[in-house]
Amino acid sequence: MTISTPATGVAVNGAEPQPRRRPGFRIPFSRWTFFSYCSLSYIFLLSPLVIVIGASLHRGTRYTVVKFPPEGISFYWFTQIPQAHWDALSLSFGLAVLASALACCVGIPAALGLVRSNIPLKGLVSSVFRAPLQIPSIVTGVAFLQMYYLFGDLTGVYVNGTFAGLLLGHLFVGIPFVVGTVGAVLQRFDTRLEEAALSLGASRITTFRRITLPVIMPGVYAGGLYAFMVSFGDVPISIFLSAPGFTTFPVELFYGMENDFNPAVLASSTLVILFSLGLLLLMQRIVGLENLLRSGGGAG
Amino acid sequence: MKARWDLFLIPSFILSFVLMMVSQIIFLRASFFKDLGLGRAGKDVVLTNYERFFTDDFYLQVLWLTVQVSFMAMLFTLVLGFPVAYMIARIRSRWAMVLLAGIVVSTFITIVIKVFGIYIMFSANGIINQSLVGLGILDKPFTVIGNNAGVVVGLMHFTLGFGVLVLYSVVQTIPRSLEEAAQIHGSSRFRVWLRVIVPLSLPGVTVASLMIFNMSMGAFTSAALLGGGRVFTLPVLIQRVVIMEVKYSMGGTLAAVLLFSVLLINLLSIYLVTRMRKQRLVIT
Repeated sequence: MTISTPATGVAVNGAEPQPRRRPGFRIPFSRWTFFSYCSLSYIFLLSPLVIVIGASLHRGTRYTVVKFPPEGISFYWFTQIPQAHWDALSLSFGLAVLASALACCVGIPAALGLVRSNIPLKGLVSSVFRAPLQIPSIVTGVAFLQMYYLFGDLTGVYVNGTFAGLLLGHLFVGIPFVVGTVGAVLQRFDTRLEEAALSLGASRITTFRRITLPVIMPGVYAGGLYAFMVSFGDVPISIFLSAPGFTTFPVELFYGMENDFNPAVLASSTLVILFSLGLLLLMQRIVGLENLLRSGGGAG
Repeated sequence: MKARWDLFLIPSFILSFVLMMVSQIIFLRASFFKDLGLGRAGKDVVLTNYERFFTDDFYLQVLWLTVQVSFMAMLFTLVLGFPVAYMIARIRSRWAMVLLAGIVVSTFITIVIKVFGIYIMFSANGIINQSLVGLGILDKPFTVIGNNAGVVVGLMHFTLGFGVLVLYSVVQTIPRSLEEAAQIHGSSRFRVWLRVIVPLSLPGVTVASLMIFNMSMGAFTSAALLGGGRVFTLPVLIQRVVIMEVKYSMGGTLAAVLLFSVLLINLLSIYLVTRMRKQRLVIT
């Protein structure tokens, strides 16, 4: 039933008609062959992260030496993280927080409107909200850059390379996640809860605040988290909209990759990995991973 | 009084609609101006850029290479991802959540950091090369950075986690009871796969594959970093043309080609889904 269940004997391909215990799943191989095969995916996906964390702990003070497995553990490189990385990290963080918060402000009413009204051409309207996920990010980046240039030519205000410019781009790709996850929760929403509150004398605003909002909150958290993570890790949009000396963390790393590969870079990357891990654990505590995924986010 | 939920929709819709339409129309319009280089463009609407794209071997090869590596990435993502998705969907214990968390963690961390790990892994004195050379399997260190294999590996880091999550929801739509029924009636486990799991998941898997293919076509970061400046896929070329060569119109043309190939695949996917629904191949 579980991973810890012992293998049901050495099974040859399909030659075993009756497994001793009723397994949760059916596979034409012995289950250990199957598990080892599946673990390949995990090794593939997670080994780079383990290596980055490991190499950042390498004890040694030579800039050019990157070693995995590390020889001796030290946190020396964590004290050597350059100021540019801290600046980029705080920009990325501020940007991601604001972009996901604004995405919620735009996305929640949109989801409410989409699920609860009977407007004509609903499919078309909802596809407008989903569109940013269909457009490759690099195209969004190019398109926003050209939009900013044209806007600048017309008004004299150039927003490319500013916080506002980056924010708008990140907001654009963040909205679909919130609309998707909140919409998914709303579709399962039992509207009798609201009717009960209203008939017991609660005002519309109180009903929304005390009933609707708490129920859709898992969707908001999930969508907000997706929007945050997409913004926090984005390269293809930010690379067009940031300016030299004013870049997000991933873009800073991207440009530094060729000429600036040293253990200090790995140290700041390790901090980001741990931060993302912590955020995910926090979300798991608040809403549960199952909710995080059921509401669909990236898949929607 | 009935709540007017449709009014809630209006401001959000206007914002999304305006951002999307204005940005897309501007770059699409610009793609029809002749590119004069250095950020300058002609004033007349002409097809020069598109003509160049579809007659110049270099651009066509870039497009073809993008399709090739995306296809490979899609194939490997399916082969590696489907069993994992099946395993997670069918395990009935809290391990399922742990396994899912592993996938989610990997998709949430920016690809740039993962590429660092891949760099270290494949460096000349990294673990892979040292062990392979040490065991005598290779006589000189090999690398995935700067060749097509590397780009495929990079694309898979982008698509595999996402692919598992999508395939997981596909497997979840197949009722467990069907597999049990087949087995009770005497099917071997191999036949259960052949006659139940594969046919029932095929429509979902087809759609998932197209999504994965689309993601790979548009993937910039991993392709750029693992291509090492030597392998050009369409997104990598777009960034280069716009930022280094400052050719906005040509960049717009390349972006337009990418956008329309991706949209075309999306339409194909929608068409396939509706056809499969009609033939009642999808259980929903």
